[in-house]
Formats: sequence, structure tokens, C-alpha cells
Amino acid sequence: MRSRLADMFYKNAAEMPDKQAIWCDKETVTYGELAKLVSRYSNLLLENKVAYGDHIAIPMNNSIESAALFFSAADLGICLVPLNPTLPFSSIKAAMIAGDMKHLIARKSFFSECEKYGGIDVKGAAICLDGEYKGTIPFDNIHDMSDERPENENITGNESLILTMTSGSTGNPKPIDISQNNKYERAMAHIRVYDIVKEDRILAATPLYHSLAERLVILPLILGATSILLPRFTPAIWLECVREQQVTFTIAVSAQLAQILELLKQSDASGIDSFRAIVSSSALLEEKTKLELIEKLNCEFHEMYGTSETSTITNICFQKDAGKHKSVGRAFDEAKIRIFRDDDTDCNYNEIGEIACKSSLTCKGYYKQDTMMEAATHDGYFHTGDLGYLDEDGYLYFTGRKKEIIITGAINVYPHDIDIVVGNMPEVEECAAFSYPDARLGEVVALAVVPKEDTELKVRTIKTYCARKLADFQQPHKIYIVDSLPKNTMGKLQRMDILNYIRKMGFEA
Amino acid sequence: MEKVRDFVTEYIQREYTISEQMDIMELNYIETGYIDSLGLVQFIATIEDEFAIEFTEDELENPDIKVVGKLIHLIEKKIDGREM
Repeated sequence: MRSRLADMFYKNAAEMPDKQAIWCDKETVTYGELAKLVSRYSNLLLENKVAYGDHIAIPMNNSIESAALFFSAADLGICLVPLNPTLPFSSIKAAMIAGDMKHLIARKSFFSECEKYGGIDVKGAAICLDGEYKGTIPFDNIHDMSDERPENENITGNESLILTMTSGSTGNPKPIDISQNNKYERAMAHIRVYDIVKEDRILAATPLYHSLAERLVILPLILGATSILLPRFTPAIWLECVREQQVTFTIAVSAQLAQILELLKQSDASGIDSFRAIVSSSALLEEKTKLELIEKLNCEFHEMYGTSETSTITNICFQKDAGKHKSVGRAFDEAKIRIFRDDDTDCNYNEIGEIACKSSLTCKGYYKQDTMMEAATHDGYFHTGDLGYLDEDGYLYFTGRKKEIIITGAINVYPHDIDIVVGNMPEVEECAAFSYPDARLGEVVALAVVPKEDTELKVRTIKTYCARKLADFQQPHKIYIVDSLPKNTMGKLQRMDILNYIRKMGFEA
Repeated sequence: MEKVRDFVTEYIQREYTISEQMDIMELNYIETGYIDSLGLVQFIATIEDEFAIEFTEDELENPDIKVVGKLIHLIEKKIDGREM
């Protein structure tokens, strides 16, 4: 059997070669052109001994070539390990090892950074995307490749297509294993729920190393719609792109929408009239913000709830579900929800417990970490680590988080990861990262540090250390040097109390 | 001082190459999204580390620091001040 994802894309290309497939950063390709690029990319990989089942790591940016690679990988039965290019070298190396990387596709600056820190062991092909770099194969060789789709009849659909790297609470990477079938079924579920059609122009405005943008690029291309891929996000770039490209549908993260609304309110410019529907994901927006967004964006407004492991679990349409505006909606047809007490018994309606979900859209598991997935799953239900309740009509309400986690601009940050890194500083006795409210990003990382006795520790020193050792989204925006951390009588850190504690100590927080 | 210019321009282009038609010295790297609000803290701390300088709070709040040419000029000024 051939790859279903690649087949659907190639079928669209054969039926409408002149239709616009992708717009990205002022460049456009048609379905016909993109199909040739996908085939050439596949042939470039085959030429360089990339084989069925191999894993390719790629510090991924939003580009037409990145989108093409998803379909080449699907067609050849290859697994991609997309990485955040801003991660510190140590995290990238750990992610590559956790993801069993054999081949590497990257930019010159990445190879040069690797060399600076002692190199990285690439057993297979190393492909340089922008020009030439010693010991690598130039991506430009793609122009010498055939644009015929290579033959490959061995795809079952169960092959891993993408390992999405998330950070585990132990500081080790936790690769979420998404198969070709997962990606296909997730795309089809979203097409159905949001009535997405071929005429839609679908915007992806988050990085392609996150599953949201991957979905928003793969979905239009298997449907025959147009993918609008934002190279980088700022509210101004988003608005300009939406206006110019007449975007009709997108799933945005709530922190982005809040920033876009601020810009729309500041400027005298008129609202947007091209949208048919917008979906907000990540965190629940305040009702006032939703109403203002609807007024400015003139379209159906949805909110969704889900996790990277399960995909979307619920959806609610603001205009259609009157009276339920504080809910995150009802379950997708593919998903069932239960709310569990701490003793694993079921909660009653309106009783808060841990949200758990059983869904046919759930990922294959955590790559090579089966016990972790098993530990998070009971009776077939994946425990999300979020708290909430169901009402009598089946609407889910999100009330908070059970796991200690900071969500900054829709990115999950595990405070424990930061504690470990900063705790390794020789001057630090103990430290704790915590969530700090932020108008633009929802939350940012803050850090309380207790220095060792008789040592002098400056905030600046901690900042520099963090810049070297942590990813951009993990950087503490506020650092407080304190005498002690709030703990309970058993000596357990009370992370949720740190902000109040800092305020009581008289810091400006 | 070419080292400063190379360091700053290479860092900003880690993910995307800036078009040759663009005057990189006039580029506001925040408004154009080459560095986002999450990345700014790391960018500034990396520069301070690389050139052994410190920006003051006033300098960090000045919008000029977000323009490539003006940032490079400020770093060079600080290095000169340190060497005197």
C-alpha cells in the first residue's frame, strides 16, 4: 500500500495542478509545483541512503520546503524529528538521542553551532539547507533530482511520521510518537468538525515543530485547499497576511489572539472580513476578549481543548452554544471524557477532578518510553494532568492544572526542568521556577533563587547562565534572590505559593 | 568591530535568512519577528555574555535596542568604554 497522506496530496496535484497550494513569506507554489518538489525531496533522500523507518532530525523553520518534507517522509515511510532551532545545544543533542536520529537536515548556522560545542554524531546523511558546509550534502542538489514520484508500496499507515519533542517533568525529552494514520485521522476529524472545504485558505501561524502548525499545513494539502504558512509571528505580520491572503480559517493560540486584538484596538484600521471561522486553542479566553474578537474578525468563533497526546478533545462554538460560554465544549465524536477523583473513581456531574480522555486520535505513545504512557493511562483513558468537570449536558469545564506546568505563549514549560539547570550553578542552594502572569503571553517563567551562604550571586549571572543552558521559552523573565522558599510542614516546595510569598517579601511582583 | 556585526546578524538569522533586498541595519528584529518576545531575554543575555558587557535598564527599555544597526552601535560603544 502507498502512503494515504501522500496519495491524497498527489491526487489533488494531478486534478488541479495550477491551484495555489502554499503561500509562505511572499512565495507561492501551485499543487503541480509542490508535487514536483515533494518528489525531488524524496529522491534526494533516497539518493543519500535515507531508508524506510529511518529518523531524520530537523531544526525546522516555517517554509515551503519544510511542508514538502512532511509528504516526502510520509511517502517513503520515514520519521521526522522536528526540533525547535532555538533550543540550547545540550537539549538538541538529548532530543536527537531520544528520537534515534540517523540523519540531519539543518541550516549552516546549526552545523556551525554543533561544531562549536564538540560536534554531533550523524550516522547517516547530513543535508545543509542554505549553501555549502563541510561534510554535508547541499540541499541545492535537489535541482538535479528527478521530479517523478518514487515507487513505495510498503506503507501500512502505522509508521511513525513525526516525533514531537516535549520536555518531560524529569528534564528528559519525551517524544510523542505520531503515526501516519494518526495524522490522517486527526486531519479528517478537524475537517469534519469545522466544515473545512477545498475553497478554504487555511492559516498556520505557529512554528512547524509544533503539532498545531503541522496539522494546519497537512490538512489543506490532503483536502485540496490552500495553506497559508506564516514564516514568523507578530500581530502585525499576522494581520497583514490575513488581509492580503484573504484567510478563511485558522486555529490560533489564545495568547496570539489576545495580542492581535490589542493591535486591532490600537489601530483605526477596519476589522477583517475574510474569515469564516477561527478556533482558539491553548488557554480559555475571557468572555470580553472573545466578544471583542468576534466584533473585529466577523466570523464563527470556536474554542478547543486538547493535548499533544490525544489531539483535540472538545470544541465549542461561541455563537452556537449560548449559555455554555465558560465551557471548553463537548467531546469530538472520536473522544470520550471521564473525570477522575484521586482514588481513580469517577466524579459526579459538576464535581472537579482530573480530566481523562479515550480517543481514536491518541498518539502511538511516547517513543521507546512505553511505561510512561502506561503510567498516564488508566482503563484506556489518558490522564491529561488538567482539572475540570463535566455538566449534565456533556460540556467540559477546565478549572486548572494538576501538574506543575507553566504555559507561556501556548508552550508548555516544566518548572522542574529549570530548577534542575539553575540548581547546578555552584552558587545556588536551591531554586524554583514558577508562573508569573503576563498580559501578552498569558504567563511567563519567573524564578526564585536561594544562594548558598557566604556567596555573592547576581541576577545578571543567573540570566547569563540561563541564556546558555535553557531554550528561549524557558528563560526566566523575572528573577528574585530570596532567603528561603515557601514549603509545607513536610518540607515540600509550595510552588503555587511562590508568587504570593515574593509579594509578601516586599518585591515588586 | 566586524565580530559584533557578524555575531548579531548571524544570531538573528538562525531560523530565517533575511532577504538581501532588505537593509539589515535598519531592521527592527522584534517587529519583523526574527526574534520573538520569548527569545529577546535570551538574545540580550547571550550578547552580554559574548562581549562581557551589561545593558542598563534604560538601554533595555529604549526601542533603539530592537533595531539591528543601533544595537550593534550600542554594543560597540560599550566594548570601547570597557577597553578604555
